[in-house]
Amino acid sequence: MALSCLTQALRSLTLSQPALLSSQTVAQLKPGTLGPAAVGQWRGFLTTASVEQNRTLWKQRDKYTIKPIGMKKTGGRDHTGKVRTRGIGGGHKQKYRWVDFQRLRYEPNKEGHPFEEKVVEVRYDPCRSADIALLAGGNRKRWIIATENMQAGDIIKTSGVIGRMAVSANEGDAYPLGALPVGTLVNNLELQPGRGSECIRAAGTSGVLLRKVNGTAIVQLPSKQQVQVLESCMVTVGRVSNIDHNKRVIGKAGRNRWLGIRPSSGLWKRKGGWAGRKIKPLPPMKSYVNLPLISAS
Amino acid sequence: MFPEATRCLKASAPLFSKNVFLNASAHGGSSSLPLRRSLGVSHCLAAKVAPPKKPREKVEIPGLEVVTYGDRMHYVPGLAKPVYPSWERSYKDPRFYKSPPAQEMALYKDKPCYVFNQRTSVLEGVRQAAWLTKTSVMHGLPPHLVSLSATAENQLPNQDERVQDAIKHARFWDTTEPRPRKEKYSNTLLLNLLHLCATLQPTHPAVGRRILAENYSLAATWTRGEDLFQIRGQNGLLHCSMDPLPRVCEEKEVLETSDQVLESFYPVSPTIDLQQVNVYKEDVNCTGFRGDYPYPHAHTLYFLETPDPNFKLRPEQFRAKMIMFTFGNALARAHKLYGTQPQTLLERPVTVQAVGTNGRIFQFLVFQLNTTDLSGDDGLKNQVWLDEDVELYDFAKVRPLIKRKEVKVPAGLTGYKPETFSKFLALYLHGAV
Repeated sequence: MALSCLTQALRSLTLSQPALLSSQTVAQLKPGTLGPAAVGQWRGFLTTASVEQNRTLWKQRDKYTIKPIGMKKTGGRDHTGKVRTRGIGGGHKQKYRWVDFQRLRYEPNKEGHPFEEKVVEVRYDPCRSADIALLAGGNRKRWIIATENMQAGDIIKTSGVIGRMAVSANEGDAYPLGALPVGTLVNNLELQPGRGSECIRAAGTSGVLLRKVNGTAIVQLPSKQQVQVLESCMVTVGRVSNIDHNKRVIGKAGRNRWLGIRPSSGLWKRKGGWAGRKIKPLPPMKSYVNLPLISAS
Repeated sequence: MFPEATRCLKASAPLFSKNVFLNASAHGGSSSLPLRRSLGVSHCLAAKVAPPKKPREKVEIPGLEVVTYGDRMHYVPGLAKPVYPSWERSYKDPRFYKSPPAQEMALYKDKPCYVFNQRTSVLEGVRQAAWLTKTSVMHGLPPHLVSLSATAENQLPNQDERVQDAIKHARFWDTTEPRPRKEKYSNTLLLNLLHLCATLQPTHPAVGRRILAENYSLAATWTRGEDLFQIRGQNGLLHCSMDPLPRVCEEKEVLETSDQVLESFYPVSPTIDLQQVNVYKEDVNCTGFRGDYPYPHAHTLYFLETPDPNFKLRPEQFRAKMIMFTFGNALARAHKLYGTQPQTLLERPVTVQAVGTNGRIFQFLVFQLNTTDLSGDDGLKNQVWLDEDVELYDFAKVRPLIKRKEVKVPAGLTGYKPETFSKFLALYLHGAV
C-alpha cells in the first residue's frame, strides 16, 4: 500500500497542472507528516503511509480473562520493523496467560474487606521464569505469580488493612508493607499503591523488608538495591516459585533456540572496560515517595 | 528533493558525524572517546528511529465554533476534520440490526440471574451442583434398582454376545476410515445399546409407551438464598414416557435427609462459572414440549461429550452437568404439576434418571426431587444416586499395542464387563417391569 501511495503521488506530479492533485490522493495521504512541504501551490505528498498492522492488536483486550491468549512474536523488531533488540527470534509458540499483578483487586460489590481465595492449580508459564497459580474466590478466577510452597487447595488471604500490630503472615498472603513485621521475605512489590506489582517477580527471588519509617517502608530488592515506598503498597509474602530456575543447565544450543534466544555474534571483539566483575558501592536508595519539601529557613 | 531521499541521507549521516550515540550498541563502548562506533553492527541498527507517534488528543471546547474543511470538500492542512452525524437506516433491515445496550432492553433487571447452560463447566463439580440443587449425593445406585436386571426374564437372549457385537460395530465397523472418531463411535454405541434394550418390548409392553426426543430446549427457574438461578439449554437425548417413574426412596429416608448438611466450598462462591445475565425473563419453566405432548414424563437423559473442543468437560464437570440438567427436567415437571410456589415436600416425588458416556466410561445417575423449597440450606433435600466411572470395556484397539516386541494389548475388544450393561438395562427397565 505504501508503494501504491508513492506511485500515485509521483504520477500526479507528472501532470501538467500540479494544482490538480486529486482529492482522493490527498485524502489517502497522512495529514500529519506534510509539514513545511505545503507552501503555496505546492501540496506536499507523502511517500509512505502507515498500514494498520495487527501486530499489537492481540494485546488490546479490555476484559480480563483466564483463557490463554494467542501471542504474536515480534522477533525483537519495533514498530518500524527494524531490529531493536538483538538475539530474539524463533522459539516455541507461546500463549499468554494474563496474570493479575494487582493483588488487592476487590470484586465489584465487596470493596474494602479482606478476602480469601483458593488455589485451584499451579502450573508452568511459558512467558516467565516463575510458575503461575490459578486463584478462585467469590465469583471470579485469576492468575497470579505463585510463591514457593503454593499448592492446589491452599487458601490465600489478601488484605489492605494496616493494623497497629504486625501480622504474622503466611506464605502466599498479600498485605500492605505497613502491616508486615520487619525482616519478612516479600515478592511482587508495588512501587506505588494501586499500580500493580512491578518488582521482584522472577523465579526464586525475594526482597527483604528492612525497616519502616513513618508512613514509608524500605525494601531491599534482590539486586541489593534499597527502595523506599509508601507503606500502603501491597506485597506478597515468601519467595517466588521455581527456585531452582537459576541452577538449570541449558545443555545445548538448541534449547536456547527453543526459548527464543538467537545466537550472539561470533565476531571476536576486543574487551573494553565493560567486561569482568565490577565491585561498586551500592547506588543510593531510590525513593518512590513524594515527600513534602522541607525548606530550612 | 523528495522527502524519502532526504530521510535516507539523514539516516546515513550518523555514520560520518562525530558525536553520535548508538543506543543499539550492546557493548557499551568506552566512554572516553567522543566517537562511538557500533562494532560489527549493520547499518540499519545505526539509524535513529523515531518513537511511535501517538495521535494528537482531540480537545472539545464547548461553544467554540470549529472551522472545518467540510465546505471545501477536500482536505486543507490546518483545518479541523468535519464531524458528520451518523447515518441511520430509515427502514428495518434484519441483516444489519444493531441491538441496544443491555440497560435499554425491555427485560433488563438490576438483580442478576445466574444461568447454567450446556457449555458451563463449574469449578467445584459435583459438590457445586449438589449445593445449587440442594441435593444429598449418595455414591452407588440403589440396590433394588440394580437387581432389576438380574432376573432372567429381564435380560436379553445372548445378552453378552449382542452387546459385544454392538461395541464392535460402533468402534470398528461403522466407517470406511481406519478408525471412527470419538463423537461418532460414542453416538453409535449409545444408539446401539438403546436399540438392544428396546428389543425387550414384546415381553415388557410398558417399554412401548416411551419415545426418544432430541434437541429440546429446557428451562427452569429457582431461587437459592437471595440469588436467582436458571437452567437453560439443549441437553441431549431424552427418553420420555407416558407414565411417571416410581419413587426410588421411601418417605422415611427422605425425612432423614433434612439432617444432612450441604457441603460448602468457601472461599469459592457457589455461583462461580455460571453465566451472569441482567436481561432475562422471570419464571420461565418449560419442559421443552407443549402441553398436549403424549409423553410428558422425562424418564432418562442420555449425555454424550460435546464435540466442541473449546468446551470440553472434565469427568467431574460432566457429572455436574448431568446432575444439573436432570434436576432441571425434574423441576420443570414439578412446577407444571404442583405450581411454581415452593413446596416443602412433594407427595409424589419426581424421579428422573441420567446416563452419561464418552464411548467407554459410563456415569449413571438417579435423581429424586423431593422438595421445591430451595431457598434455605436446611430442611428436606433432594437425593441423587451417582455411579461414577463405570467402564464397559477396557480396550477396543484397531491396531494392537506392542511394546518391545510384546503384545501388551491385542487388537479388538478386550476386557468386556457385563455388569455395566446390566446397570444400563436396569435403568432402562425401571418403571416398565
